[in-house]
Amino acid sequence: MKSDKKVRLNRRTFLRAAAIGAGSAVIAACGGGGATTAPTAPPATLVPPTTAPTLAPVIPATAVPAPTAAPTAPPAASAETINGVTLPADAAPPEYQTFVTYFDISADWTSPNQMETIYKSGGFGSITNVTGDTLTRLDKNFQVQPAAALSWEADETGKAWTFKLDPNLVWSDGTPVTADDFVATFRYAADPTHAWDFAWYYSAPGAIKNWDKCVAGELPLDQLGVTARDAHTLVVETETPAPFLPAKLVYSEVLSAAKLKEYGSGLYTAEPDKTISCGPYILKEFKPGQRVVYEANPTYKGTNRPRIQKVIQIAARPEAFFAGYQAGEVDRVTGEGLQTADNEIIARDPELQKQIRLTAADFRTDYLFFDCQNPPFNDVRVRQAFSHIVDRDTLIKTIITPTQGIPAYSFLMPGFPASNSEGLKDIQNYDPEKGRALLKEAGYEGGKGFPKLTLWLRNEPQIRVALATAIAAEITQEYGIEVEVSNKEFKTFMDAINAKPTQIQFGMVSYGIDFLDPSNMLGVWLSTGRHNWFNKTFDDMVNSAAESTDQEGRIKVFQDAERMLVEEAPAVFIYHRTVADIYKPYVVGECFEPNVAGFAGLQWPGFSSMSNSMQTLYMSNEITKFRDKPPA
Amino acid sequence: MSVVARKETLVTTDPNIARPPSNLWRDAAIRFSKNKLAMGALVIVALLVFISIFADVIAPNPNLARPIDARKFPGEAGYVLGTDDVGRDMLKRLVHGARTSLIVGLSVQAIALVIGAILGLSAGFLGGWVDFFVMRVVELFTAIPQLLFALFLISIFGGGLFNVILAIGLIGWVDICRLTRAQLFSLREKEFIEAARTVGVPPLQIAWRHLLPNALTPLIIAVTLGVPIAIFTEAGLSFLGLGINEPTASLGKMVGASSAYIRVYWHMGLLPTLLIALIMLSFSFVGDGLRDALDPRLRK
Amino acid sequence: MVAYIVQRLAGLAFVFILVSIVAFLLMHATPGGPFDEPNMPLPPSAKANILAKYGLDQPLHIQYINYMANALRGDFGYSFSSPTETVAQVIGRTWPISITLGGITVVVALGSGILLGILAAVRQNSPVDYVVTFLATLGLTVPNFVIALWLILIFAVQLKWLPLGGWGDDWRQIIMPMVALGMGPLGIAARYTRASLADVFTSDYIRTARAKGLAEQMVVMRHAVKNALIPIITVLGPRIPDLITGTVFVETMFRVPGLGKFFVESVLDRDYPMIMALMLLIAALWGLVYLLTDLLYTWIDPRVKLT
Repeated sequence: MKSDKKVRLNRRTFLRAAAIGAGSAVIAACGGGGATTAPTAPPATLVPPTTAPTLAPVIPATAVPAPTAAPTAPPAASAETINGVTLPADAAPPEYQTFVTYFDISADWTSPNQMETIYKSGGFGSITNVTGDTLTRLDKNFQVQPAAALSWEADETGKAWTFKLDPNLVWSDGTPVTADDFVATFRYAADPTHAWDFAWYYSAPGAIKNWDKCVAGELPLDQLGVTARDAHTLVVETETPAPFLPAKLVYSEVLSAAKLKEYGSGLYTAEPDKTISCGPYILKEFKPGQRVVYEANPTYKGTNRPRIQKVIQIAARPEAFFAGYQAGEVDRVTGEGLQTADNEIIARDPELQKQIRLTAADFRTDYLFFDCQNPPFNDVRVRQAFSHIVDRDTLIKTIITPTQGIPAYSFLMPGFPASNSEGLKDIQNYDPEKGRALLKEAGYEGGKGFPKLTLWLRNEPQIRVALATAIAAEITQEYGIEVEVSNKEFKTFMDAINAKPTQIQFGMVSYGIDFLDPSNMLGVWLSTGRHNWFNKTFDDMVNSAAESTDQEGRIKVFQDAERMLVEEAPAVFIYHRTVADIYKPYVVGECFEPNVAGFAGLQWPGFSSMSNSMQTLYMSNEITKFRDKPPA
Repeated sequence: MSVVARKETLVTTDPNIARPPSNLWRDAAIRFSKNKLAMGALVIVALLVFISIFADVIAPNPNLARPIDARKFPGEAGYVLGTDDVGRDMLKRLVHGARTSLIVGLSVQAIALVIGAILGLSAGFLGGWVDFFVMRVVELFTAIPQLLFALFLISIFGGGLFNVILAIGLIGWVDICRLTRAQLFSLREKEFIEAARTVGVPPLQIAWRHLLPNALTPLIIAVTLGVPIAIFTEAGLSFLGLGINEPTASLGKMVGASSAYIRVYWHMGLLPTLLIALIMLSFSFVGDGLRDALDPRLRK
Repeated sequence: MVAYIVQRLAGLAFVFILVSIVAFLLMHATPGGPFDEPNMPLPPSAKANILAKYGLDQPLHIQYINYMANALRGDFGYSFSSPTETVAQVIGRTWPISITLGGITVVVALGSGILLGILAAVRQNSPVDYVVTFLATLGLTVPNFVIALWLILIFAVQLKWLPLGGWGDDWRQIIMPMVALGMGPLGIAARYTRASLADVFTSDYIRTARAKGLAEQMVVMRHAVKNALIPIITVLGPRIPDLITGTVFVETMFRVPGLGKFFVESVLDRDYPMIMALMLLIAALWGLVYLLTDLLYTWIDPRVKLT
């Protein structure tokens, strides 16, 4: 143990050092870390695929094939559950089909329904949006599947879509689900008095007809382009042709027209004694800040029938998630909840490594961005110089660690439609020499005359603070430019970035998808987006491609637009996040088989009505080795 | 005041009657130097201060980051105390971190002492409306959430060392103020104060020469305890995006940043914590020694 | 005395008003609002809708007057973060839990701290004294999230002696939060007690008492402790509301559904109604604590005059 240099206070320092030394020995032992062994490289299966085949465009041409039957698990003689699902042969009995997870104890809670709120639903758990069906949902390859809408087609103009609704859907109080419920839901979403926090979503690109005017209160809500032709036929009109509309409509969890009228808002979904559900689950118990319980809805007649009968969510602090997982309290921890040291422990333990399932999550890309309207970053050479300073390979290997991300040289992650990582990876490559030459050209040789920078971060966890600090240090060391890193509180950051004109000169932030179309991701960079880069050519390209119905042509235009983005460098792309979730061995199902991009975890949007993964996820009978009684 | 008694035989405790004029401070210094514990702690404090002043010479380039060397344990790859998560030498970071933390801790306490002692003295000694007013100010400052105040101050005026010190110090004077006031309540009725008043010593002089030294004990404790509290408050603020920016090191920030790593990379949290403990212990013992040294009643 | 108390309570009311104005101004002057867009910017009309719904588009003084008018009638509004519950309901539900945890911690931690301090003072400069000082320092320098995590790892995960967290269904759930929460105050109490007692032991009236031949224990108990209490109470008094309003880290780490987390969350979320309500609560609590400690001074040392 280390000895202190002060000889005069022998007894005291000895006492202290002894106790703390003993304590840290305990700490190290419990942490399970060998002090001097280097972390072993993660096994090949855990490293995310770098060359994933690009997914085919998700937009079905016009008509949609007849709905496929629910995935066929071999129907061995096994238990039948309360919601009419036959469990596979190796499944645990129905009372063990309980999925226990954590959610962040500091999350707000307003409602578990996305049409009431998107940003304040976290307090209802990491599993939300399960008490209603959406018009469409995604499979694990991000292909749009029928959900509450069994089929759909667009007319010749491409601006009016007809959706045929599932006539079997019914509310848990017995009343049928009709197109009127969807109409009421969309009107509620646009209603100025409701003030939906996601109101930008159904705006351009692919805006619903009159959406903006209704939100602004300029038109009455019955003018909104969502109408019911009959009880089971919904018509959605858009301002411009929007071939990706069905993909967008995953965010359409239906609210009850009757309840909206009775209570005046969708907040009834937050209270177990008031809520009704037409979806796979019903909200059974809600203790704010403590516990949320959903139970399988026995009256559910839709196509997304879950095998899991009960979902229990416990509020906890992310630092303690993994400890609880090790204690056996929960069945999974998502990648966002795992701390760096947790990942290290997992990396050193082969048993734990087997429990990791990798996903692309929401195709999130982290990037540096600039204030492109003011010096020094209004000079494209300066921006390009900065784009050559990020040594992605080293940073991912040492700071991010390879299971947490892959290098990003462009905005769209491999696997996302129109992504072109291979084709674009040489533009923003790591080359400090080139960067120095560019800076010299721009008049900042050796960093002289360059203002001191502050790199703004948005409330990032330590791993990305370390990343930013490393990049900042490299800028200082290679370019002679002083950079400070300031991890700003969330709202201070957003306030500054959204201010007009923007107040952030140099920052780092991330973006993940809202819906699976390039117009969503690239839309961040439009002149109307959240960064202050204004490029009319880019705008025109993205907007025209967004509306085009030419499947292949629009992909090409998107790719050209992305190329321009990468070359003009209003952003320097750092890495795409891969999310390593950890599941107990008894959590199984076809949803965990690798998707076309090679990821073998629960893909975005995860366990919700927006995805069909709940049809296949279940607990195998191995669970009895871990739990002596069903979780309560 | 006349002083005629022989200093060896009188047992009264009033320093102004008991002995011929002698320097309080010189006697205190002599007594302090005889206190082994306090002297040892003083050496450590002096060492810390020395290291802080010459940090740039002793540990140049603490912010040199080599991601390849990230998260090395003490003894690995030639780093005596290992590296942090960005690949910076822990030893150098600790040296500079100690400097920042000492600056924060001492400045905050200095501000708190000045404001708190002045207000507390006035309230305690003068009483009446002054006391009423001061107590209301105390209650006001107590009720305002420190986080909100810091958020306001720093998001408007920017982060950085100075503003952080202000944000913590401008709220942190409350305890010292109340301590001073409380001590004064009990002291001002004591006989020697009565005596001084009777003879006609002006109130300010009474406050300065008689009351303050006697009120010192809890003040000293408060200041020495306040140093690590200020250090951790600064760490908490940094964690919320309101504090000192990277790459500037501070011990509190290092401890806070280690929370994501402690289960495996124990050195990243343990070492700064040890250093904070060292700082606090040495200040405490110096403070104890000061108290013993300055206490006139201990004189023989 | 009664007049004094009435005077103090009147002063408290005055402080309330002052506090509410200052807090209100601070809140609104701080950049960022409760409904800032985390992703894409909302179209201006949508943003305007949100602000109108919560009355945030009105001039500040109108907002303040509305708030105070409602507050005086006991209506503290709805939390922006959880519109199905009123602020009063949230506080009413969480505060008793924080009081319970805080109260028990106060008794145990401050009590042990004082006892340790007495022990150290009586055995000044002995090994016992050093150990106590060391423990006190440890309690103050190890941050409580570190203590909390290690407690969980050792006692809940490895040994499985204690539950991971939660509240209400197992009496053992209070043990770890109490330890994590109490280490700091225990350290403070021990240090102050020891220092004050050491001070007092050397003063004249103690020497007089000893010279008169009273038993050592009586000396300690009656005279020394009573007089050392003044600074101790001054410092420990505020620790009580500190503990009762909870601390974020300990409560959230151990999933104790108390009030603590709202002190931080409400500021970070810019949840104005909650911030205001919490601040008034704190002002009331501390005002009372200060009043009580001042009254205690007079009881302990009859020479103290408060006016």
